[in-house]
Amino acid sequence: MTEEEAKESLSELKESAELMIDLAYSSLIYDNIDLANEVYQLEDESDERYDRFQRIIVEDSKKGGLTTDEALALIRLGAVMESICDAAREIADVELRDIELHPVIKMSIEESDETFVREVVDGKSVLCDKSLGETRVASELGAWVIAIKRGNRWHYNPGKFTHIKEGDVLFARTTREAERHFRDVIRGKTREV
Amino acid sequence: MKIKSLRSRWKREEKRKIEYEPRTVKDILKEMKDISQLIVDLSYSSLLFHNEELAEEVKYLEARMDSLNYEIRMEAMLAARNVEDAEKMAGILQVAEAAESISNAAGDIVKIMKLKFPRPLIPSLLKESDENITRIKVEKRSKSCGKRIKELRIRSETGTKIIAIRRKEKDIYGPDKEQIIEAEDIVILKGTDEGIEKVREFLIGNVEVLK
Repeated sequence: MTEEEAKESLSELKESAELMIDLAYSSLIYDNIDLANEVYQLEDESDERYDRFQRIIVEDSKKGGLTTDEALALIRLGAVMESICDAAREIADVELRDIELHPVIKMSIEESDETFVREVVDGKSVLCDKSLGETRVASELGAWVIAIKRGNRWHYNPGKFTHIKEGDVLFARTTREAERHFRDVIRGKTREV
Repeated sequence: MKIKSLRSRWKREEKRKIEYEPRTVKDILKEMKDISQLIVDLSYSSLLFHNEELAEEVKYLEARMDSLNYEIRMEAMLAARNVEDAEKMAGILQVAEAAESISNAAGDIVKIMKLKFPRPLIPSLLKESDENITRIKVEKRSKSCGKRIKELRIRSETGTKIIAIRRKEKDIYGPDKEQIIEAEDIVILKGTDEGIEKVREFLIGNVEVLK
């Protein structure tokens, strides 16, 4: 293998499933159609990825690589991630319908353990002109940046090397506990990370 | 013994007659969202550590989610007075349905445990992602012993999240901020490698404060 290939596509599937759920919930709290459309886009990609993944596994076990149980375990794991992607699309679908969102949706997401923030990066923020890896947003601030909007352009699922600039709109998943400090860092109200 | 009582717990929940109890749609939806997140983490953990007790908790949460989905439909129907209400409620029910689908998917993860494959296959597959799941045993000398999760500031200092605490008497799933950590606890957590390392050093007592 293909084992490397299988590993890679499975972890890509897992990551996009998680990202899609986060984007879908964010689209509802911020009533943001762009985020919801991105979920649709990612769902198409993950469908294709899952099809490719299944093929790799079946071909490998035909060649005598994987045993039946191993192949089944992998395919089922892939299927689970694919159904999580589908669920994310269902959530995003609510945003895309031309119906006003019920306030209860927003409230229930905001009040749950894991919530989302949207904040504009202030020029005074310590995050400015640094990469996400450098500032250790995930491990020091307890926030997972899922999308950045710079001007009219979106950058989804930014990595360690993505730089943050003044005026960027950050969308992140965080907890209620870590939320306030994270907001203060982005707004430049505290330089402590 | 522990496994048996866990098993009867989800069987009970599965067969529970749903009686109408007034509860707000918001509270039900919030609980459904929380469960949908916890159940996925727990199911990956059970597969990763090949742990039956975690798997039983996943089954319980799956049954609980079914009941909640039923309740939210009843509440939504009672709350709709006109076409406009019904339109908006449909959105709520769709989000609830998605949370339910996620919990079913998590239930399927647990079923994979029944297949026969070499144990290291799964860890090597799941460890490729940015966020990992690991377990750490709390040592007596750690300053975390006897403290509440919120005092430890694990989440805000390291970005890691405690999914479950395994304890001799009773496991705790999706612990809240008030939960006290004890020596010998096995903490299952999710986070970046860097964040996890910091928590490990603290929980085994190599460092005194989490920073």
